[in-house]
Amino acid sequence: MRDLPGLPSRRGFLKASAATAAIAGIASHAKAEQKPEPVALTEYKPDCLKPSEWAFVMAAVARLIPSDGEGPGAIETRVPVFIDKQLAGDYGKASDWYMVGPYQPAASPLRGWQTPLNPLETYQQAIPVFDEWCKQTHGKIFAELDPATQDKALTSLQKDEMKIKPELREFFSILLANTKEGYFSDPMYGGNHGMAAWKYIGFPGARGSYKEWVGKHNVKYPLGPVSISGERG
Amino acid sequence: MKKLIRVLGVLVVLGIVALLAFIFVPVQRTGPVTQLAADFKPAEGQGEYVMHAGDCMACHTSEGGKPFAGGRAIESPMGTIWTTNITPDKETGIGSWSLDDFRAALYDGVTPNGTHLYPAMPYENYRKMSEEDIVALYDYFMHQVEPVSNKVEETKLAFPFNMRFGLRAWNWLAASYPAGFKPVQGEDEQFNRGKYLVEGAGHCAACHSPRNLFMAQDGIDDTSNAFLTGGEIDGYTAPDLRGPESGPQKWTTEQTAAYLATARNAHSSATGEMMLVVRDSLQYMTHEDNMAIAAYLKKIGTAPANASAAAAKPEVTETEKLLTDAKPDMPLGPRLYLDNCAACHIVNGNGAGETFPELDGNSLVTAKSPKGLISVILHGAELPSTADRPMKLRMQGYDNRLSDEEVATLATFLREGWHNKAPGVSAAEVKAVRDLAAH
Repeated sequence: MRDLPGLPSRRGFLKASAATAAIAGIASHAKAEQKPEPVALTEYKPDCLKPSEWAFVMAAVARLIPSDGEGPGAIETRVPVFIDKQLAGDYGKASDWYMVGPYQPAASPLRGWQTPLNPLETYQQAIPVFDEWCKQTHGKIFAELDPATQDKALTSLQKDEMKIKPELREFFSILLANTKEGYFSDPMYGGNHGMAAWKYIGFPGARGSYKEWVGKHNVKYPLGPVSISGERG
Repeated sequence: MKKLIRVLGVLVVLGIVALLAFIFVPVQRTGPVTQLAADFKPAEGQGEYVMHAGDCMACHTSEGGKPFAGGRAIESPMGTIWTTNITPDKETGIGSWSLDDFRAALYDGVTPNGTHLYPAMPYENYRKMSEEDIVALYDYFMHQVEPVSNKVEETKLAFPFNMRFGLRAWNWLAASYPAGFKPVQGEDEQFNRGKYLVEGAGHCAACHSPRNLFMAQDGIDDTSNAFLTGGEIDGYTAPDLRGPESGPQKWTTEQTAAYLATARNAHSSATGEMMLVVRDSLQYMTHEDNMAIAAYLKKIGTAPANASAAAAKPEVTETEKLLTDAKPDMPLGPRLYLDNCAACHIVNGNGAGETFPELDGNSLVTAKSPKGLISVILHGAELPSTADRPMKLRMQGYDNRLSDEEVATLATFLREGWHNKAPGVSAAEVKAVRDLAAH
């Protein structure tokens, strides 16, 4: 799973489709459940993200959990789909958050979510700001930069070197958190495709019972994961 | 030749007369089995108690309808039978019925105008009820039930079952025994109380006895070998209660009584129709009465041969070993069990007392018809809230999670796992149960 064969480039869109195909090949061993492959990320129609936002999310998560090196990356596990679906749903709208003022966006970060923007609005407003900053600083929008420069840009975003306005200051941290969530959450939410992240770390999923294994020390648990909807890995 | 024709003619006329008599001569109604004192008054609450014992509510109340106002559809092999309004409403209920009319419905299965009731009404069993209980029940329906004007749909079965007079002949076969209950001499009071409740108002045999060629209960009391040895209702198996592998025989009397009162005990839990019986009827019985039922059932059954030996030595079955090893190349059945069931029902199939039923030796799992097991896997089950155990424990359904093939493979594994030995289940059988719910 660590080497993704036949990748013509590590760039976003091409990578997406090739990686999806590679994962599909790996997942089809004897006991795995046969599920129709979802539409490739390049063909995916986002629920709420506009094309420029989608391109950014695709490029950003590919750097936060890259596909080279150990384990599957955010692209093969379809993290962008997870983020799109979450932003289109209750999370994106902050449906069950307290979102009535007074707002103090510049309050200490220890005070939690202080911006009047919900997570979807945060993405929508921060991405153009960041892309503009990338253009000014590195000459291209984020999605078009080479990986090394992308890493540099993300680091700057994390350190808030561009002095983004306080209403958007949570952007990097929710982008990173959402990426991890999409990587490790149950596949029913769109990410962790093929339970690849769980297989990689040896997490057995939603099986929920290992009583008979409590006394077995230093024995590797042999079974692959199961998802909430019953996928077997 | 001429003589022969004349004889035949006479026979034909006699036959027609007999048929007309069969159809039109009123049925002799059974009178009271005991002459009660003129001033007999049922004890406070007795009528309601008898109503619960007879579970009148279950059939005579429609889903979301007013109590006892009827209109519930009872599916029978002959067609849909609509239950009647038994509130004391004069026009649409039984408000104008006399005690004799009421008794005739319970004993003889006839309404005041002589119409035969379909035996979905278990008068085969109610015929055993005492006059005291009949009077108490009559008093309850006349004075404590709210009259509800509700004209229910008329039952229209296909020919020939729409010829209700034909039930007269059926009654000769099924309900011709003398009415009332005779305690068995030499047995104690508890046994006879249990026997009275089981054979009479409780009408356990309506589901738990097999049906004979004429669709009558094959055994309405324990003098019959087939009595309570298991039946079928709407394709579901009602388990045997007398064999050595049956619940009432394997469990202690206290455990059986707990099952009746709360739908759960140390081994099992009630699902489907039996869950409803506990919810609507048995939970209202006194502890003494549920103990009497349990003790009676134990007495008329065959005790398991190795009851004490099995309890003493917990062996590790092949199934448990297979599940414990959790080898990735295990067959799909045990894999599905580990992925979906083992968290609650445990690899040894023993579950947890009063919470997760045992699957090893569970009568639902090994039932002749797998319909009940398939239904629970697909749609889950819920225990009723009772006074003793208020928690409505719920198992979720797996209809979204498992395909027909997977459910069939899992059910087959359960029916062959541990000590179970029941035939496998096909995907077609699963599909049939799944399609049923879609309607």
